[in-house]
Amino acid sequence: MTRTIHLSLDINGRRYDLDVEPRVTLLDALREHLALTGTKKGCDQGQCGACTCHVDGSRVLSCLTLAAQVEGRQITTIEGIAAENGELHPVQAAFVEHDAFQCGYCTPGQIMSAVACIREGHAGSDEEIREYMSGNLCRCGAYNSIVAAVREAAEMA
Amino acid sequence: MTIMEPRKHGDASDGTVGGRQTRFEGNLKVTGGATYALEYPVEGLAYAILVQSTIPAGRVVRVDTEKALAAPGVLMVLTPDDDLGLLVASDWGGNRPDNQPYYPLPRQVQYNGQSIAAVVAESREQAVEAANLICITYEKAPHVATFNDAAAGEGKVMDNLTSGWGDAEAALAAAPVQIEGEYSTPREYHVAMEPHGLTVKWDGDRITVWEPSQWSHGMARSYSEWFGIPYENVHLVSPFIGGGFGSKGAALAHGAVAAFAARKLGRPVKLALTRPQNFTNYGGRAATRQTIKIGATEDGILQAIVHRGASETSTYADWPEQTGSATPILYRIENFSSQHRVVPVNTVTPGALRGPGKNPSAFGIESAMEELAYKLGMDPLELRLKNYADHDYQSGKPWSTRRLREALTEGAEAFGWSKRSHEPRSMRDGKTLIGWGIGCGTFPVIQAPSEAMIRILGNGRVEVVSGAIDMGQGTYTILAQTAAEVFGIPVDQVEVHLGDSRLPGSAIAGGSMLAGSILGAVHKAATAARDELIGLALNDEKSPLRDTGANTLTFSGGRIAAPRDQGPSLTLSELMAALGRDEIEVLRNTLPDGATAQEQHQAWTSMAKVQGPTMGEYSMHSWCAHFAEVRVDEDFGTVRVSRIVSAFDCGRLYNPRLVESQWRGGIIMGIGQALLEEGLVDQRNGRTVNNNMGDYLVPTNADVPHIEVISVGIPDYGASALGGKGVGEVGIVGVAPAIANAVFHATGKRVRDLPITLEKLI
Repeated sequence: MTRTIHLSLDINGRRYDLDVEPRVTLLDALREHLALTGTKKGCDQGQCGACTCHVDGSRVLSCLTLAAQVEGRQITTIEGIAAENGELHPVQAAFVEHDAFQCGYCTPGQIMSAVACIREGHAGSDEEIREYMSGNLCRCGAYNSIVAAVREAAEMA
Repeated sequence: MTIMEPRKHGDASDGTVGGRQTRFEGNLKVTGGATYALEYPVEGLAYAILVQSTIPAGRVVRVDTEKALAAPGVLMVLTPDDDLGLLVASDWGGNRPDNQPYYPLPRQVQYNGQSIAAVVAESREQAVEAANLICITYEKAPHVATFNDAAAGEGKVMDNLTSGWGDAEAALAAAPVQIEGEYSTPREYHVAMEPHGLTVKWDGDRITVWEPSQWSHGMARSYSEWFGIPYENVHLVSPFIGGGFGSKGAALAHGAVAAFAARKLGRPVKLALTRPQNFTNYGGRAATRQTIKIGATEDGILQAIVHRGASETSTYADWPEQTGSATPILYRIENFSSQHRVVPVNTVTPGALRGPGKNPSAFGIESAMEELAYKLGMDPLELRLKNYADHDYQSGKPWSTRRLREALTEGAEAFGWSKRSHEPRSMRDGKTLIGWGIGCGTFPVIQAPSEAMIRILGNGRVEVVSGAIDMGQGTYTILAQTAAEVFGIPVDQVEVHLGDSRLPGSAIAGGSMLAGSILGAVHKAATAARDELIGLALNDEKSPLRDTGANTLTFSGGRIAAPRDQGPSLTLSELMAALGRDEIEVLRNTLPDGATAQEQHQAWTSMAKVQGPTMGEYSMHSWCAHFAEVRVDEDFGTVRVSRIVSAFDCGRLYNPRLVESQWRGGIIMGIGQALLEEGLVDQRNGRTVNNNMGDYLVPTNADVPHIEVISVGIPDYGASALGGKGVGEVGIVGVAPAIANAVFHATGKRVRDLPITLEKLI
């Protein structure tokens, strides 16, 4: 396959134009074509959650989403959630304060999931947070701190 | 009891050694700004994909590459027919055979999932498509899938792992109470969130390798030796690494393939292993089995331990997962015998995974101790305290520090162990059976020489420079805290540069040896730099502090002054400006004085200078005691870990906030080991069946309860310059037996083979 298609993507409120093969995933478009490498590739199979982004405000696995599918929709990545002045999003700040990561590789996906989890109204209790954050694996084992961070950010929201 | 005093974050003391400073690189990691190996913008990249064997043993007869080469975008296909012209690199000890060719894509197939071909194309998608078009013809040979196959045999005894004293067999036979059990653990995998892979670029005979690494210098050495180029020509870059757990300490075949392809194509190459390839391109923890026999008196005094263990290894290298390594040192034991075998099978050579050796070893002895406790009708806590080891019976040496008794008693107190009812199946909540269990753990103190550079800049900032790695343990943070303390400045006045083979050499981020080793070097360099600055400030005629008449200076609150308020106080930048200095740079290492350049190179790039736990006067180890509560559904056999309290003796903690995270991480990996993790092998073809994160189960958030961790350690200045013992490995050791023991207490069923899945309970 050598055919490329032209895409115009709305990512973090900015327009990005790119020419890619139709089979390129949103994840690879971000990482390999747009230098937006904050979104991580952990499995490329929809199993680990490291590639979690928002499309029109809902969490999606960008490794299972073709870039061509999200044209005309609003994509948000980890690079797009802090304030313009650089001030961290409350979930980001809570992750730092609670030490909710070690190696940091699952962290962007965890944070994107957490932001949506709170917005969905699924951060009402520790049990609920654990359940609704279980699509995001963390091999370093920061789960206790992730729950604490999400709880704190949810209370502030 | 504890040196982990609760302190509100934000106190000035957070920034000194022992403070709860938040993660130094935290903002980069939560914003996506931390750049991992495959994320460097490199112009003109080509993409490589590996093709792996589909048979477990035999020979590659022919690789049909015609279709792949004709596929769009394909630049190159490499097969066993290509002579890459590489030489075998040194092993861990720094030993290297002379002029032995190295074949990263071998003709001889030794396991299913071995890399035997590679495709390089303009895009990753094109490379993947072309890889699917490669057709390989094999000549199959008989294989051994696992060490449970009849054809595997008994394996070979590892003489260096055979140990014993007293007369264990006779003492066992004479003991009035005896127990015997066989314990086994399956293949387990690292499953670091960041898959292995690299980007590599040549400039003439110089190579830059962006690759996740637990040891920048050691891996750089492999590249230099494979390609026959000077060590200085290799630049390995790894400032952030997405988890390693033992898997990223050595350069691997795929690195050699990518580097060769890049050189031959004359353009940079990126090679990422797919998640399934991460299960066979390097080894996880070997499967183990062990029998333990314990003899004791009727009042529970141990008389003898006889241990016989075995672990799988590959057909081409001996990697022992030492099942007898915790067995001899946890308890007072006068008669002991242990032997370990390795059994070659058709697998990739296993490797180090969190708590290597000690982990499966502790599963055996800590399960057996509780079996003995139930046979005696004795509280398992009492049995452990009754047999407390006053010294190391294996080496005969005194402990440096050993607060395992405090870990057991203070852990029990926090857990509420005294409320336990002894009989199995005696605690329940409706249809849910509740059980409590204990597992002790240990990991040796390992020390390695390290080097660090300190730069005091004219603007008053202090740089710490080291090739050491931060894979999440907190190297950036504790190095910054150390420099901040020495110079009396806030942590945000410090910069830390890590993860680069061109920076000063360091211990590997593995074996829990990095923090103690590198802090020794950083503290030494920082102190020397401060002394140099003091000398200048007291003697240089341009210095405003010269006339104070002081013979030293204090560094506190960001200011430098003579003691007892004599004269002015200056900030670092003011003093540097007064002295007319742009920079003061000091390099120090912890090798003996006068080490030659060759000895230094050997120290940074091999394990030759590493010191084990009993090489000095003392026997030095970290210790822990885990208390687990499980809830088991009586009808369905499902096990949930509902509570864990763990008490640790890891000496002085350099940053309790980060240490607690590491301990919990180890414990959570232990929950996975106890209940979920199991590499499954297809007996017919030696294939790893569950080679992905959906089928090889690791703990999710919902699998993990709140975990309470307690520090009972005291500074151990024999173990390290600043008093800490290892933190990262010990957390997992003893977790699986604590859970298995709790499951027995809940259900009355003793599961001796991990993981404890529901079919074993119903």
